[in-house]
Amino acid sequence: MKQVKFIGKATKIRQTEPRTVIEWPRSLTHIHTYGMLSPFFQGLKEGKLMSTYCPNKQCPENRLWIPPRAHCPDCHTEMKWKALKNPVMGKVYAYAQVVYAGIGVELSTPYWQVDVEIPGLATIPKSYLLSGRPYIGMKVRAEFRTENPTNTVLDYCWVPVE
Amino acid sequence: MITFKEGNLRIPKWNRKVFAVAGGTTAYKKFFPEYKLEELVMMAFKNMLEDNDLKKSPEEVKGLINCAVYGDFADHFQDQLLCEAKIHDYLGLDPLWNFSVKTGGATGGAAVLAGALAVASGYANVALVAGWERMDEVDTRTGNFYISTAACKDFETRLGRIYSSYYAPMANRFAEAFNVSEVTRAKIAVKNHLYACSSPYAQQPGKYTVEEVLASPMSAYPLRFLECCAMSVGSAAILLCDEETAYKLSDHPCELFISGGTHTLRVADRRHMEVPLLPNETPGMYDELYGKADARYPGFESFLASRFAAYLVYRMAGIKDPLEEFDLVELHDAFTISDLQTYGDVGLRPYGQEQDYIESGDAYYINPNTGKPGKCPANLSGGLIGTMHAVGATGIFQAAECLWQLQQKYDKFHGDPKIWKKWGKTKPRDWQSLQIPKKSKQAMWVSHAGVGSHVTVGILRKSW
Repeated sequence: MKQVKFIGKATKIRQTEPRTVIEWPRSLTHIHTYGMLSPFFQGLKEGKLMSTYCPNKQCPENRLWIPPRAHCPDCHTEMKWKALKNPVMGKVYAYAQVVYAGIGVELSTPYWQVDVEIPGLATIPKSYLLSGRPYIGMKVRAEFRTENPTNTVLDYCWVPVE
Repeated sequence: MITFKEGNLRIPKWNRKVFAVAGGTTAYKKFFPEYKLEELVMMAFKNMLEDNDLKKSPEEVKGLINCAVYGDFADHFQDQLLCEAKIHDYLGLDPLWNFSVKTGGATGGAAVLAGALAVASGYANVALVAGWERMDEVDTRTGNFYISTAACKDFETRLGRIYSSYYAPMANRFAEAFNVSEVTRAKIAVKNHLYACSSPYAQQPGKYTVEEVLASPMSAYPLRFLECCAMSVGSAAILLCDEETAYKLSDHPCELFISGGTHTLRVADRRHMEVPLLPNETPGMYDELYGKADARYPGFESFLASRFAAYLVYRMAGIKDPLEEFDLVELHDAFTISDLQTYGDVGLRPYGQEQDYIESGDAYYINPNTGKPGKCPANLSGGLIGTMHAVGATGIFQAAECLWQLQQKYDKFHGDPKIWKKWGKTKPRDWQSLQIPKKSKQAMWVSHAGVGSHVTVGILRKSW
């Protein structure tokens, strides 16, 4: 008779005192869609900062959105796309230095995370400063990672213009 | 743009009154290999049933429960989907209806709110609210990454992979906008680590100086490790009931009011709006602060979710002036900055003057400026910085601490050497009671998620 075999790996015991503690290793890949926001991430690779706006003339919100949204939160109309004109300029609104990052960090620490005000936007998107030290009000210009893109939001960042 | 219509601002009203009568907790530890999760929840449950001077036996009280709400923040951490089913079975409560609530850091507060809804609606006469988190199955950096997935995964998570990096920009902005020194933040850390020294449940007690806090390693500038909450394992529970049952079970029940508010997960998306005013605030008082063309409320400085929850619950409970009427507050000090920001949201100070709540000494058990009791002490439990942040338990633990304080049971639950021994500790020789005065009537607690995505504000009122 064919018998069922154990085909896994023996579980490692990490400690036995004061109680038995085992390890349960795993490796996962999530399959994640950018959905209707895909043009934003495609735009970064082409050196464009893509925003969305609500085309409903009756809607009280007519400013641009980055992070973009596919639907207007106020009137639920499907948004339209608009590329910001290069060079995209902004001002640092808030900042932080990431020193101790969680696992999988993709930027060399320490680095400066910046929240940048961009004219015409309803929002203040978060990104990072490629070089220099930020301060509130600092003028910055968007740069794009068109070569060796990461295919993530890390494909754009800011550089000081002063 | 958030513009309210009439219905949006309706003040919540219970169909019948809701009371809290008993609380329970475990100690909190970074690693807790001694017990499985369900064993820890059982210990909090037993603590609630057996040690609260209830007028019926634990079995009789259990026989009155007809609904359970569980707070469980992240399936990532527990690594057990339907954890609530396992816990509910372990507590011996099947087939009573149970459900779990998930609202990030506000999970505990949201679970209390859901339990109150069950009682207020008449679904239950007695509702168990219990919460937990087991954050020690992964290493700290993996835990930090898990928590950072409670930021927007497409536009924020990859930019920090640690939650302190989403609060740090607020700290820098707040410091500049309201001219606040980092010393004020450090004082909050000193205070809460110190109060944790009186708690047998505390994970991060310590007698630090401001200088030591500021010299501790940086997590995300300007937030140091000693300004950040613990990653915890543990469980807490609270028992809610209707008025008739409350007095059958306890001579010292506390009436419960609780409301919630929310705001965008991404701070980026928070558009300027008018400040919803609390009962102690007057129209026009924020014209200077938020009247300028480029002003943003709540911006990066404040939390609309906290303000909205306070807006509702103060009116629900008839609170006119929080600083005068609360005898204790337990705030969600996940980071020193979030604690500081919240003082304005919940009206302990007007917006822009938050730091004065600390600097005046009002926030202390003993005001360091006068040597007399602080006007409205904050986080005598040790808070999230000093004692615990087993996320799903936190808002429930805070409620239990408020309840015990109002019931004059701080010493019973913190000063008994047997409790210290139970959790493998020795009661310190210089242990100090942080019991609030007997005349105290009301305590408030804040349960807070994300960078202010979900917040509940709860009030317990002495009702005997």
